[in-house]
Amino acid sequence: MDTETIKNKIFEILEKAKGKKKLKEKDVIRIASEELNVEKDDVKKVLRDLIEEGKLCYSYTGGASSVEIPSEEYLREKGMIK
Amino acid sequence: MPKMYDTPLLDELEKGPWPSFVKEIKKCAAKNDMAADELGLLEKSYKTKIGYWKHGGIVGVRGYGGGVIGRYCSIPEEFPGVAHFHTVRINQPSAWFYTTDALRTICDIWDKYGSGLTNFHGSTGDMILLGTRTEALEDIFAELSSRGWDLGGSGSAMRTPSCCVGPARCEWANIDTLELCYQLTQEFQDELHRPAWPYKFKIKIAGCACDCVAAIARADCSIIGTWKGDIKINQDEVRNYVKNGFDIQKWVIDMCPTECMSWDGSTLTIDNANCNRCMHCISKMTKALKPGDEKGATICIGSKAPIVVGALLSWVIVPFIKVEKPYDEIKDLVRKMTEWWDENGKPRERIGEVIERVGMRSFLEYIGVPPQPQQVKEPRRDPFWFFTEEDIEKIKAKEAEEKKTGVYKF
Ligand code: HEM
Ligand code: HEM
Ligand code: SF4
Ligand code: SF4
Repeated sequence: MDTETIKNKIFEILEKAKGKKKLKEKDVIRIASEELNVEKDDVKKVLRDLIEEGKLCYSYTGGASSVEIPSEEYLREKGMIK
Repeated sequence: MPKMYDTPLLDELEKGPWPSFVKEIKKCAAKNDMAADELGLLEKSYKTKIGYWKHGGIVGVRGYGGGVIGRYCSIPEEFPGVAHFHTVRINQPSAWFYTTDALRTICDIWDKYGSGLTNFHGSTGDMILLGTRTEALEDIFAELSSRGWDLGGSGSAMRTPSCCVGPARCEWANIDTLELCYQLTQEFQDELHRPAWPYKFKIKIAGCACDCVAAIARADCSIIGTWKGDIKINQDEVRNYVKNGFDIQKWVIDMCPTECMSWDGSTLTIDNANCNRCMHCISKMTKALKPGDEKGATICIGSKAPIVVGALLSWVIVPFIKVEKPYDEIKDLVRKMTEWWDENGKPRERIGEVIERVGMRSFLEYIGVPPQPQQVKEPRRDPFWFFTEEDIEKIKAKEAEEKKTGVYKF
């Protein structure tokens, strides 16, 4: 499976969950690997790359961490976009 | 010049003989706007009895999910200096040994980018830098990491492991707490920086049962140094203590929790089979008593403060384990434990709570540690594993066989 497809799937999953459910790294990996029928490790690798690039971020509420698409406002504050 | 606030309520807290956080914040506030507004905000909280902090959200450095804890002020118009007031955790060196140079470096970085306020140390063990803005985070991280520092853990991650001073300064250490702490920190880098678990997981390492890091109460995984075999007694030194007026009966014999010691006026006897290695007698008569020669550690699991359920103390899982480089056995064990917890835990459930809910049997089976008497936590709490369907089938088959042949096997 090519990386682009996995990337798009991850964004699709996170867009769908936005504002409704906090997804942990594990949840994203599980859903993507089931829906695309790819190995969890492959999804994990792509997910981690997105996090490294800053396209995705870890977030934190009440002690539990999740993965989210960062807002433009946040990226601007961090100086990652103009 | 930072704004100065009137702080009559906080000023009260400078009056006692003890160290005062108000005094310290004021020192920072004289030259730092963030610290000044922090002081003003706190005074307001004291007046209104309302907290003005918002928690959490996406705040961190790129690639990491831990190490920065997001804090925002809910009334930033009134206190712009603390509109953002994020906390940065720095992974402390094993047992908190620093050179003054190292501390100066950290403080200089923090004066440049943050409020100047610090907390040495947080209860996880990390150095805590209090109060900075989102846009400063990447610069702070770059400056810290270029000087060899790394962020600590936060969120649902492995938290920065910590340990007691151990063999660096303490003769009672049964294990090299510092090296083990360092090696576990290295081993679990991914888990430390990228929170993937149901909740936090803490490792604390004490060199002996005196437990100066309170591992038994504060760590999901408490590793506590111990020994096998007999306590070494120097009877001459024992008599010396007594000769010098030490009430051995009152302070040692009567205080031994398992009542395994006796003193006949000239000789101290220990029934070592009943000693639970609590360290009490050794710490009272350092010159006379020493731990036995075969050193290792006891691994206990599950302590935590009350959140989902009440507070727990750690529970003995591995009564004795050798603690030798490269510590593969301990690393594997921690990995298995966290795997089981990750599989079974609900969000915000600590490993100790999952063991209480799912059962010790399932946990022990997964990590491959056999049930053993030392795991019994208290009298009448022993049957924490049960027969499976499979076991019952086996027993039935055995009984049928015995009935048929008339030969009974035990
Ligand atoms: C030779 C005969 C007996 C033997 C070897 C024996 C042995 C035992 C043992 C090993 C225990 C467990 C102790 C513990 O876990 O703390 C026990 C508990 C008990 N036994 Fe017996 N027992 C005998 C006769 C009896 C009789 C005749 C009675 C009652 C009429 C009795 C009543 C109990 C009770 C009530 C307990 C529970 C005590 C507690 O948990 O506080 N036993 N027994
Ligand atoms: C309505 C009648 C009874 C009630 C409500 C009752 C209630 C209780 C309760 C609440 C316990 C404590 C259980 C625990 O903490 O685990 C207990 C223990 C015990 N009861 Fe009863 N009981 C009754 C009748 C009896 C009778 C008739 C006997 C003996 C002939 C008896 C023998 C015992 C013994 C030996 C224990 C201790 C068990 C142990 O510690 O393992 N009980 N009972
Ligand atoms: S826990 Fe034991 S070994 Fe560690 S510093 Fe305290 S007394 Fe020494
Ligand atoms: S170490 Fe504790 S249990 Fe063992 S003999 Fe000394 S006081 Fe008793």
